[in-house]
This record gives sequence, structure tokens and C-alpha cells, in this order.
Amino acid sequence: MSKKPSSSPPSLHKVIMVGSGGVGKSALTLQFMYDEFVEDYEPTKADSYRKKVVLDGEEVQIDILDTAGQEDYAAIRDNYFRSGEGFLCVFSITDDESFQATQEFREQILRVKNDENIPFLLVGNKCDLNDKRKVPLSECQARAQQWGGVPYVETSAKTRENVDKVFFDLMREIRSRKTEDSSKASGRAKERKKRKLKCTLL
Amino acid sequence: MAPLPLVTGISPKEGPPGTKIIIRGENLGTRANDLIAVEVCGGECSFEWQSKNKIIARTGINGQKGKGDVIVTTLSGGIGSSTVQFRTYTETIGPLKESAVWVEESPVQSLAWGRRTMATSGYHTVDDPLGLSMEGNDKKFPDDLREMFPENSGDLSRENFSPCWFLLENHHGTSFEDLRAGYAYLKRKVEGQKEGQLSFLKTHVGAVIDQLDTMMNLKKKMDNDGDVDIAKRVHNLQDTISKSIDSSHALFDDVLKRREKADNSRAALSVLNRYKFLFCLPTNIEKNASKNEFDIIVNDYARAKNLYGKSEIPLIQKVLAEADEIILEVRKELHKKIQEMPQGVEQQKRFVKSLINLEIQQIGTKQAEMLKITDPAWDAIASRAKYIEATFKRTYEEFQEKEKENLQKDTTKRDPPIRVLFCEEITEIASGQFPDLWRLGQSYFTGELRGVNEPKPGNFKQIILNAIERFCSYVRAAILPQNQKYSTVTAWSFSSSSQLNLFSTWLPTCLRHLRISYASLIRLDLPNEALDIVLKLIDELRLFCLTTILKKAIDKVKKLHEKESWELSVIEFPGATSLPAKLEELLTEALDEGQQMCLQLEVRENPLFDVPNSEGHREISKIIETILECFSTVLEELATERSDDEIQQLPKQIISGFPTNSLLPHSINLNEAKSTISSTITITWEHRLLCCLANAAYCNKIFINNNLSNLFVKYGYPVPKLALENSRSNVNMVFGNLLEMYVEHKADPLVSTIEPSMYIVSHFKWDGVEKFDNLSPYAHECLDNVVAVYSEIFAISPFLLRPILEQIIQTIAEELARLMVSVDDFNVNGKKQATLDIKMIRDVLRLYSNERAKQSFNEALDAIPKLTADENKNVETLLVSIKQRMKIQLMCLTVVNP
Repeated sequence: MSKKPSSSPPSLHKVIMVGSGGVGKSALTLQFMYDEFVEDYEPTKADSYRKKVVLDGEEVQIDILDTAGQEDYAAIRDNYFRSGEGFLCVFSITDDESFQATQEFREQILRVKNDENIPFLLVGNKCDLNDKRKVPLSECQARAQQWGGVPYVETSAKTRENVDKVFFDLMREIRSRKTEDSSKASGRAKERKKRKLKCTLL
Repeated sequence: MAPLPLVTGISPKEGPPGTKIIIRGENLGTRANDLIAVEVCGGECSFEWQSKNKIIARTGINGQKGKGDVIVTTLSGGIGSSTVQFRTYTETIGPLKESAVWVEESPVQSLAWGRRTMATSGYHTVDDPLGLSMEGNDKKFPDDLREMFPENSGDLSRENFSPCWFLLENHHGTSFEDLRAGYAYLKRKVEGQKEGQLSFLKTHVGAVIDQLDTMMNLKKKMDNDGDVDIAKRVHNLQDTISKSIDSSHALFDDVLKRREKADNSRAALSVLNRYKFLFCLPTNIEKNASKNEFDIIVNDYARAKNLYGKSEIPLIQKVLAEADEIILEVRKELHKKIQEMPQGVEQQKRFVKSLINLEIQQIGTKQAEMLKITDPAWDAIASRAKYIEATFKRTYEEFQEKEKENLQKDTTKRDPPIRVLFCEEITEIASGQFPDLWRLGQSYFTGELRGVNEPKPGNFKQIILNAIERFCSYVRAAILPQNQKYSTVTAWSFSSSSQLNLFSTWLPTCLRHLRISYASLIRLDLPNEALDIVLKLIDELRLFCLTTILKKAIDKVKKLHEKESWELSVIEFPGATSLPAKLEELLTEALDEGQQMCLQLEVRENPLFDVPNSEGHREISKIIETILECFSTVLEELATERSDDEIQQLPKQIISGFPTNSLLPHSINLNEAKSTISSTITITWEHRLLCCLANAAYCNKIFINNNLSNLFVKYGYPVPKLALENSRSNVNMVFGNLLEMYVEHKADPLVSTIEPSMYIVSHFKWDGVEKFDNLSPYAHECLDNVVAVYSEIFAISPFLLRPILEQIIQTIAEELARLMVSVDDFNVNGKKQATLDIKMIRDVLRLYSNERAKQSFNEALDAIPKLTADENKNVETLLVSIKQRMKIQLMCLTVVNP
């Protein structure tokens, strides 16, 4: 990426929470950010969070965009998705509809990002409510497989189970994706540099 | 300091002004009070503190549009930072849209309010036409784009829009991939718009088909019916259409009504806003009155009067009338407050000014007639003066009570008496309160507090004088109850003399307090008459203080006799002891103290003794005389104290006297004396008597006239000549008495031994004298005795020789004359012997013989029958030889001025 190449500020990983309304995107985010579990449900419009975390011994910044699940806001999603570097696609294992909706989100993301290999995690939330499970585990895993082998993780924002894991796993993917890109881009960057030099000379 | 607040999360991250947002982060305040500000996009927010990690805020309307930081400020941590940004965008408020904030609608906008919605999307696109985040593009493109594309513009809405300019300006940092994605986005959007009509048909295909069907049916029916009553049908149709129009109007009317209502309330609000000041005036006046902010009331009221006073609108008049009513109350209250005491003079002045202002402004209203305060400043002065007097009185009575209480208790002598405390208190009150009163008066007369009426200078002066008079009379009553000449205050007399004595020692303190407050009064530039009242009191107190100091000295002088050490230390007058020096010391001390306390002049004081023969002079002179009288008494007492105990008590208190060789005047220390002279000699009564005689003579001749009057001159006192003269004569009298006593004491035994030793011892008879070759034993003895007395006196003071010896010798001569006259008969030798004896005694004692003594000697010689020339020659020869023999023994008597 050609954005500020300086190494001193910690690298920034932009994570976007997607999924139907009420599956627990905000709950996961708040649990991850502030270790708190919010019981009250208040539909999100678009929330922004950013903090420093230590990822495998390296200090990085995570920027979380918590989007609205409600269909009312579907129109503005495109805009949000474009800035995302990685996606947590959340559904509730107690709600089959939310699981079905993930298909739509996946497609929209791929369309906007125009990239099959965008860092992406399928997250089945509310795993503490296993007795009310509506989506069988096998079906979930099958879908993840079908999407080109994206990881599938079950979480609970209430018990904090796997909360850190999904964020950190996603960040790792974003990071490895970035290093890949930069090595690819380095060749091109040299070229560009030359050309740029010429331009300024002109 | 606690760590800085840090905002790490906001929910939501964008919204129009007035959006409620949840702010999360770290150190957002330890408690609700700690959080002092939340700023979003540079605009202040209202906020509610939830926890140190969470705040609920509502963005304000004055923040900038676009992205901006969320800054939390706490007391403990200071101004914080944020990692997330909030985006504020404008949202046009249509008539049907709810809004949390008041949206100003300009007339133009309100005319076109239906169309504004269309602009919204345009605005949005301009912001970010490619749908790319602007993040990271904060850096401006370095070159001037206007130079590069002089013909073009980067504004999307312009005709000469240049994509290059736009991209360079907004996306010069964006990656190629992103730009491609943006391009795809733009393309999709354009396609979406193109598809718009088609998709509309698609989505509403059912309705469209329905419409088509209906139209087909309609056509069929019309075909079937033929041309029957087409006009009627059309009419029906028209009716239906107009009905639908009506109902649609009805629908819209609702909206219009709401709008009208909104307009009305807006108009009402703006009226309220415009006249807010006026409508709030009554409440504000009341509020400010309760807060004592009378200046604000005056301002507000004046402003209201100016703005609306002449208005004829009934509503405004009503409100003004209401305000006037309240102002009336305020004036009443102010008037009360002005007279309230105690309070600071500045505050009082403020009240007075406010009241006068209100008074002037209210002239002409009917409320003004209801309360007329002619001269509030005068009322203020009067009440202040009254308060001062009351304070004096209260303090006076309080302290009197306290003293009564204390009397019953066992008071420790260390603490100053209550009176002194009173003096301190009342002078403090005076120096604290008078300036206030005076200042108030000053501002009254300089016109600062001038009301409608002219000031009354005479009365004010009287008030000041009265107050000062009061003050002085209370002080006088407490400190100088014996000087009480004014019946205004009941004297606070001393219940016992010991109390008075105890108090006397504190007089200088009182004087100091009084002087301090006097100084503060002087600084005020009070009229002389007022100052003179205090000055008089001070003068009285000074004199009283001085007399008290000197009276104390009297007591000390009375005890001087205990201090007599019999040390012969006066150089210029041998024989005088250190007693006069001690008197001098005492007087010096007293005079010095008195001079420092009372004579040294402070600002605006008169010398105490500038008028001759004033009361002060007489007083001082009297006391000095008493002192010296006491001293004389002391001298006399010392001499006459004849108790043997004293001698035993002081066995070692030796007087060495002046050794014969020490004619040189110098003082002899007792210790020295002890070591040089035999320590067995005790101070005999005779010694003491002689010392006292010497002291008396010394005082008479030198001490009083020189030392003491010098002392007075030195300390700036008038020399009490009369007192000194009187005391000299006193001392002289003492001297005479003592001398007589001593002479009697010495002469009696001496004289009375002459006759016995003449006759009794050896059955001597003047007619039976057998041999004539020497002095008779009695003559020897007589001379011996005289020499002994001489030596005793000389040892103490040579000055005393003459007065004492003359007396003694006179008695001796008289005795001899008596004896000779009474001799019946002399034989030849007897004649010779008697002549020899008398002549011998006469010659030897000639130096100390006065006229009477000489006369008596001659009488004695005349009583002896005449000698023949032969006999006479015989006697003369023997006389010469005897004189020669006794030369050394009698030498002392031949020195004229030892």
C-alpha cells in the first residue's frame, strides 16, 4: 500500500463487523474493546473503535467499524465495506435467518472489494446458548468450506469465549495479506518511483 | 496528575449536529464532577458521565462539519485525545423530519423547502464521489493546482470541471487499486441511475399492469355503453377527480397546518426572545435582589425604562408596572439594608447608590409616590453613627460585667485587667469604625452619594463630634474614673485600691492603644475640634500615667532605707553614702519611663508642660516634693534606728571610715575596707548617724540642686524649683535635728566628765594645789575626748567636723566657765594651774571655737584671780612646753581645712 510508508506509527488494521441485526456484532466489539457485556439491545448505526493491541509481540492498532445489521442501512454498506481490510461476518447460532443472510453479506463484500481472498472470518455468536441452537455446526463448517476455506469460529460475547481469538486471527490474516501485497508491490513501486522522478523533472 | 483521557470508541461515528453519541475510552473522569468538557469536531457538547470508560454526549450545533476528534477534558487528567473521529454532516430538515436542534430557516430556504431534499444527494456526492475514504489524504497536494490547470476547476458542479484537478486534489495519495475500485463504484452508480426508470417499472410491474387492465376495462365499458351519457360519465369522473384532489389537499393541509403552527410558535418564540429581557425583568429583579446584586437591578431597570418606558403597548406597560411594584419592594428592602448594621462601608455605599439610582429612575410612576426616601445616604450615616455608639455602649457594659464576674473568681495577676482589655477593644472599635463613618460622610459630601437633596454638613460634624465624645467618655470612665467630670457615662469606679494599683501598671498599655487609634483618626483628616477631644483625653491620660509612675517611685523611695549599704561612695562629699545615688537612680528610672511614655510627643500632641503653672506642673511638683520629703524621712529614720538588733544583724557591715591618710577624696568599697582595716569594728549607731548627717549635708549642698535638677532638665521636665527648695530646707531641718542629737550624745558625756574628774577623783581643791608642772588631768581628759570625737567624725566626713565640734566645744567652754566661776578660792598654784588649763584648752580648740565659746573661755579666765606678771610668765613658759609635748596629739585640731 502506498500510504505513509514510515514504520514508526504502529500499523493499522481495519476490521469491519458485518451481519444481520441483533446477532451480537456490537456485543463482540464492546467485549473485545472494553471487556464489558452489554445486555440492552440498541440497534447500531455505525460505530467506530480504535485501540492499540499487542499482536504477536508487535504493537498494532485495530480499527473496528461496527456496522448496522438492519436492512434500513443496507444502502450505505458499500461505502463502509470499501475501507475494510478484514471482515468478521457474524451470525447467531440461535437464528437460522441470520445464518442465511451471511451469504448475502459475503457476496456484497466480494463485490465491493473485488477480491476473493480478502481476510474474512465466519463467526457463529451466542455459543453459550447451545441448547437453543438452530444452525447445526456441520452446516456452518460446510459453508465456510464452500467459501474457499474461510475459518469458522464459534464465540460468545457473553462469556468472552473466543472473542479475542476471532479479532486476533483476523488481524493476523490482514497482516500476512499486507506483507504479501507490499512484496508484490515493491517491484512496481520502484518503477513508479522512476517515473515520478521523470515527471518532476519535466 | 491522572493519565490523559483517551477516547477509543464512539457510537455512532457520524451524524448531524445534535446526535446522541456514546463515547467510550479510558480515564474519562473519576466521577461526574471530574468530567468538565466534551468537544466533538471542535464544538462543545452536553454530556452525561456514566463511568470512567463511558460518557453519553450530544453533539452541539457549533461544531465544524466533516471529521473531527472527540476531546474529553477532565479535571484530574486534563485535555485528552481520541483515536476515533466523528463525522458531522448537515442534514436538511424538511417539514416532516424530526430534529433535535433548532434549525434556522432563512426566508429563502423556507420558500424552497420542498426542493432542498434534492440538493442533499448532490452534497453527498461532492463530499466523496468515488466512495473512497479520504483518510490518509490529509496532506495537501504540494503544487498549486490553479497554476497547473488555469482554465479548469476542481469543483464538481462547475462547467470547467477537470477530473485531473479533482483527483490530484483529493486522491493524490490513493492507490491505483483503490482508484480502480472508485471508478467501478462510480460506474455502478451511473448505471444504477440509468437503470432507474426500468427498475421502477420492474418493481411496480403489478401496479402498472393493474393500471393497464383498468384502462382496458374502461375502454371496453365505454365501447359497450356506446355514446350514452358520456357527458355524465365525464362529469362523474371529474367529480371523483376533484374529490381525490380534495382528499389529497386534506392530506397535505395537515402538513400545512403543522407548518403554520410551527411558524406561529417560531414567531412567538422570536417575540419572546426579543422581549425576553422585558418579560424576565420582574423575575430577574427578584432573583438579583435575593442575591444582593442591586447593581444589576439598577442596570436592568434603567435599560427597561429606556427601551420600553414610553411604549404604549398594554402588555409592556403591564410588565413594566409589575416591575415597578417589585422595584418598590426592592427600594424598601434596600432602605432597610442601608440601615442594617454591621456591614462594610463599601457595601453600604453600593446600596445607597443603587437606591438613589432606582429612586431617580422611578420618579414619575405612581409607585414612586408610595415610598419617599428623602436622603438614603444620610440614613446610612445616621444608622452607622448610632451603631458605633451602640457598639461602644455594649462593649463598655460587657466589659463591666466581665470584671464583676472576674472579681469573684481568683484572678491571676499575669493577665491584663479587664479594663485594659476594654481599652484595647474600644480603641480598636474606634479606629475600625470611625474611618468607615468618616468615609461614608466624605462620599456623601463629595456628591458621590448625593441624592435629590442637599447635604447637611453641620449635622454630620455634630455626629462625628458626638461619636468621638462618646468614645472618649467611655475610655475616661474606664481608665480615669477619678477624673470623671462628665455625667454622660456612669463611671466605672475601682472597687478596691489594690485593683487600682494593679491597673496602674497597665496604664502605659492603655495609653498606647489610645494613641494608636488617635493616629488612625488623624489620618482621616478629621476636623480639629474632633481631634482635640481625643487629644484632651490623651493629655489627661498622659499626665495621669506620669503621676502614676512617679507615685510608684514614692513607694520605692519609702523603702529606700532597706537599701542602705553604708557604702561611702560619694566622691565629692566624703561621708555621704550611696543612698542619694540610689534616690537618683530611682528618679532617673521614673523620669525616664515617664518621659518615654508621656513626654515624648507623638503626632499632633502638645508638650505636657508647655504652660507654666498648669495643673501638670503643680501635680508633678507636688509629687516630687513628696518624694523628697519621703527621702528626708528615710534619712532621719536611718539615723534614729537605734535598735541593737540591727547591729547584730549586720556584724560584718563594717564601716571603715576615712583612714587618716585618706584625705584624698575617693570612695572606699566595703570589701576593701574590710580587708584593710580591722574587721572587728562594727557600724555603730554613731557611725550611722554621722553618715546620715553627711548625707543630709550632701543633699542640701550639692545633690538636690545639682544632680536632681540636672536630671529634670535632662529628661525634659520642668524643674520643680519650689519643690527642690522645700526639700532642701527639709533636709536641712533633718540635718539640724540629727546634729543636735549627735552633739547632745557626744557633748553630754564629755562635758559631764569634766567636773567629776576635776574634783572627785583625787579630792582636788583649787585652793590646795601643791605643785604646778603639768596640765590637770581633767584638761587632759577633756582634750583626749575631743580628739576622740574628732577622729570619729573625721573617719566619716571631715565636712562634719566644724559644725559638730563647734557645738561641742561651745558646751565645753560654757562648762569650764561655769566651773571656774563657781570656784570659791584659789591658792597661787591653783591660780596658775587653772589659767594654764583654760588657756591650754582654749588655744588648742581655738580653731573650732565660735564666738560664744571664745567668750566663755574668757569668762572662765576672768573668774580666776589675776596672776602676777611673774606667775603669768611662769604659766606661759609651761604652756609652750606642754604644747610642744602634746604637739603630735593635738595636731589634728590645728589643721584648718582637713
